[in-house]
Amino acid sequence: MFVHKIPTAHIHDPQNTSAGLGNSTAQGYFAANGQPVPAGPNPLLPQRGVIAKIKTETSDTKTFSITGFDGAKPFTPLPGQLGMLSLPAYGEAMFSVTSQDQTHIDMTIKAVGALTNALHEIEEGQECGIRGPYGNGFPLDFCRGKDLTFIAGGIGLAPVRSLIKYCLDNRADFGKLTIVYGARTSDDLVFKEDLFENWPEAENKNLHLTIDREEEAWPGHVGFVPSYVEELALPPTVAIVCGPPIMIKFTLANLEKMGFLPNEVITTMEMRMKCGIGKCGRCNIGSCFVCLDGPVFTLEQLNAMPAEY
Amino acid sequence: MRKIAKTRIDDVLRALASHYDLYVPVEGATTRTSDVTLWQEGLVNASRFRLYEEGLPLYWRTNTGLSPKDLFFPQTEKMYTAVSQNKTVEIYEEPADAKPIILFGVRSCDMASIDCMDRVFLQKGYEDTYYRNRRQRTHIFALGCSTHEDACFCTSMDIDPQAAPAADVQISDLGDAFGFTPQSAKGQQTLAYIDGFLSDAYAATPLPTDPMLINVPLAGVTEKLETMFDHPLWDELSPRCIGCGACTFLCPTCYCFDINHKSPAHTHIVKQRSWDSCMFIDYTCMAGGHNPRPSKTERVRNRFLDKLLYNRQRHGRVFCVGCGRCVAKCPVSLEIATVIQKIQAAEVNP
Amino acid sequence: MNENVIQVSGKSEISQIMREIARDLLQQKTVSLVIGWEKGILPNKSAPAFITQSHDTDKLVFDEYCYHNLTKYLLQRKGSGLKTAIFVKGCDSRSLVGLVQDNQVPREDICIIGISCPGLMEERNTVIPAKKCETCYTSIPVEYDFLIDCPDTKTGDDEPGGSFAHRELSKVENMTLDQRDTYWQTMFQGCIRCYACRNVCPVCSCKECCFDLTSPDWVGKGNNTSDNSFYHLVRAMHVAGRCVSCGECERVCPINLPVMLLNSKLSLSIEELFDEPPASMNLDDTATLSQFKPEDPEEFM
Repeated sequence: MFVHKIPTAHIHDPQNTSAGLGNSTAQGYFAANGQPVPAGPNPLLPQRGVIAKIKTETSDTKTFSITGFDGAKPFTPLPGQLGMLSLPAYGEAMFSVTSQDQTHIDMTIKAVGALTNALHEIEEGQECGIRGPYGNGFPLDFCRGKDLTFIAGGIGLAPVRSLIKYCLDNRADFGKLTIVYGARTSDDLVFKEDLFENWPEAENKNLHLTIDREEEAWPGHVGFVPSYVEELALPPTVAIVCGPPIMIKFTLANLEKMGFLPNEVITTMEMRMKCGIGKCGRCNIGSCFVCLDGPVFTLEQLNAMPAEY
Repeated sequence: MRKIAKTRIDDVLRALASHYDLYVPVEGATTRTSDVTLWQEGLVNASRFRLYEEGLPLYWRTNTGLSPKDLFFPQTEKMYTAVSQNKTVEIYEEPADAKPIILFGVRSCDMASIDCMDRVFLQKGYEDTYYRNRRQRTHIFALGCSTHEDACFCTSMDIDPQAAPAADVQISDLGDAFGFTPQSAKGQQTLAYIDGFLSDAYAATPLPTDPMLINVPLAGVTEKLETMFDHPLWDELSPRCIGCGACTFLCPTCYCFDINHKSPAHTHIVKQRSWDSCMFIDYTCMAGGHNPRPSKTERVRNRFLDKLLYNRQRHGRVFCVGCGRCVAKCPVSLEIATVIQKIQAAEVNP
Repeated sequence: MNENVIQVSGKSEISQIMREIARDLLQQKTVSLVIGWEKGILPNKSAPAFITQSHDTDKLVFDEYCYHNLTKYLLQRKGSGLKTAIFVKGCDSRSLVGLVQDNQVPREDICIIGISCPGLMEERNTVIPAKKCETCYTSIPVEYDFLIDCPDTKTGDDEPGGSFAHRELSKVENMTLDQRDTYWQTMFQGCIRCYACRNVCPVCSCKECCFDLTSPDWVGKGNNTSDNSFYHLVRAMHVAGRCVSCGECERVCPINLPVMLLNSKLSLSIEELFDEPPASMNLDDTATLSQFKPEDPEEFM
């Protein structure tokens, strides 16, 4: 039964902490998390960017490294934040930023629609429009000092990876890291370099990979992510879950059974978005806008929201 | 209060039009059949705000058929231009217009809707540049109502049809004259341009508004809706909806938009935003095909919860101003006044 | 005399008979849903009603504001195999016949309760007939299982396609080319693309409409004269030969555009070209554009 008791604090009103109505140009724009938004005075105007590098992840997924036209990083997102990428002739869509370096942000994108198919056709050096960062990002302060369990399915590793990388870059700040990741086939596993080279090297971690169906050359586990999570009998920690809706649904149910606490299970939501700044209306779940108040929610928050996603 | 005879209102409008882009309520074609001459003059068949020109048939009776929201939030608005050639993409911002605007004759309901729009576009994290540019240079002359349409119900929404405190100037209907009262420094300034035409209106009383036919008090509705997400009411209401966007496009507080583009030439892309409707099937449909609101039931529920509950939670007020446009024009009378009545009558289990 | 024809002495009695028929059908479980009209929030508003319980049948009314052609709602029951009773006026009955001819609705699943229509009123306190009645070609339903026969029936027009439509069209056809251009441009420019005309149309029966597709996006989301014109022209073409002039498209237009003019033009052209009766007058007919005859004009081929 739906009981609509969305905590007031859950609808962010950054104006309480930042520039008020009318003087925002003087102080810059602030995203929901209070981070300044350096996209210039018009938050809907993309800046000119360059897709400097394209890396093939799977047969239908590529990672795009984007830099600003001036060679500087377009913006500096927090782990879990989003960016709006456009090829003007095809459209604009919101993607999570999977990693970043000094000059680039990376977005890992599966070909599913008009824009993403076009993105899969372009070559390195293609210019684009880019704006962001949007959304709240993962609650870093909350995670700091704790053991973390990451559970992802398919392309769902993309948003989670930004946090995993952050943890590895600031290894001393976090406890044990457990990663459970699965995909339909071994080809569908994204970030193979991380999965098979970088992450196995990391300290104090457990890495569990699975694929849905048997394959000849696959030495690892076979089975769906939610049941694998149960099999592994993971001890309750803070958990970060992301993947296809059906995988999220069953995983969350299993985690609750295993004693994970609703306020410690964190997931990211995906809705259709157009503006990214909480105006255009379509990404609402109840009175929350996913682009502004999300995309990261705890299970406790989701339980208090209408189940319409 | 200063006043001018209604017969001389053109003097005032002419004077204001020489300093401002002046928008006035203009009559729609009143004939039932397609009146050829009116169409040839470019008049559409609904009263609406248009840029003042001498000789336009002005509409003073009640609120206009189309709300003034398109002056701040046009149905389709150019955002920027991108030139995409080979591998390059250049982005050019639209230059913002700077001429001050007067919106003359806005009714209390529509003034309240502008407050709703302000909350959406100017608050909660980001200011919308396009909206702000128009809003900030607009001076609003509100006009009190002495009569109303059958469908009007602003009084149910706690709006006074005679008074719009947020307007820069309040115009009162004095019968044979219009009375002007400044309500802000901006209003004082604009009135200076027309002061020569006005005379003092001592102890003038505006005509009272007749009682409205629809009375749908909101008391308790928001609170009740908090527990009604899974209520059978939505299954009961939604079959009637035909899924068009008439309610959302006429509604002065509906603000949803789509961002899309047109390409006059393949390399030359005009990015624009245009009104969108939560009643449309494709509104929430994602690229992979998943749709969180796949049927009319979810869409109807979302629209009314949004108006009466979500916006109150998010923006601090119910997003209905009782203008009556959906009541008058919903093809199947599934409009907010009826829905409020149904919500009030619905039984909820504690 | 057919026992399924119920004579009433005047239009004020229609509502009572409606309730009785609906109650019987629901009580005997002949149907699981009755689609009719109920009173709306204002005296001059009636609204579609969906009745599933026999004790709710007292809501049903018929008055001069029951404009709605309810037959479109039958598409919501498509494929369910459930039986539905529906009230139809003369004009509505034709679109129902059209839906059956198009295999959208199985005739045996529908209990049609016809009302020989005394005519509708434009608005409260007037005696102006509703505009949709001007294009009426049959006030008596062409197909029914029960008929509530009211003596005060009114038919707007004396000829197929309608002399009213002829008059309206001739206004446009008598314009110079430039005037006509301005006329259509102004009309299309004014359209707000709410799609009420499409969504209410009882013969627009596609499950997925070409205008809702995102890829390819045949029509842009932006509102401009070019896309708006495209929408109206395509909409009119898609219902050509099936439009029954029920006038719903024009009634629901929130900005009162004469959107039916294009449909009227096509209906008249089809009648002239093929010498066929107006669409959907008889269940046994085949729609003009769904059949081929050797003598069909072929100058366009």
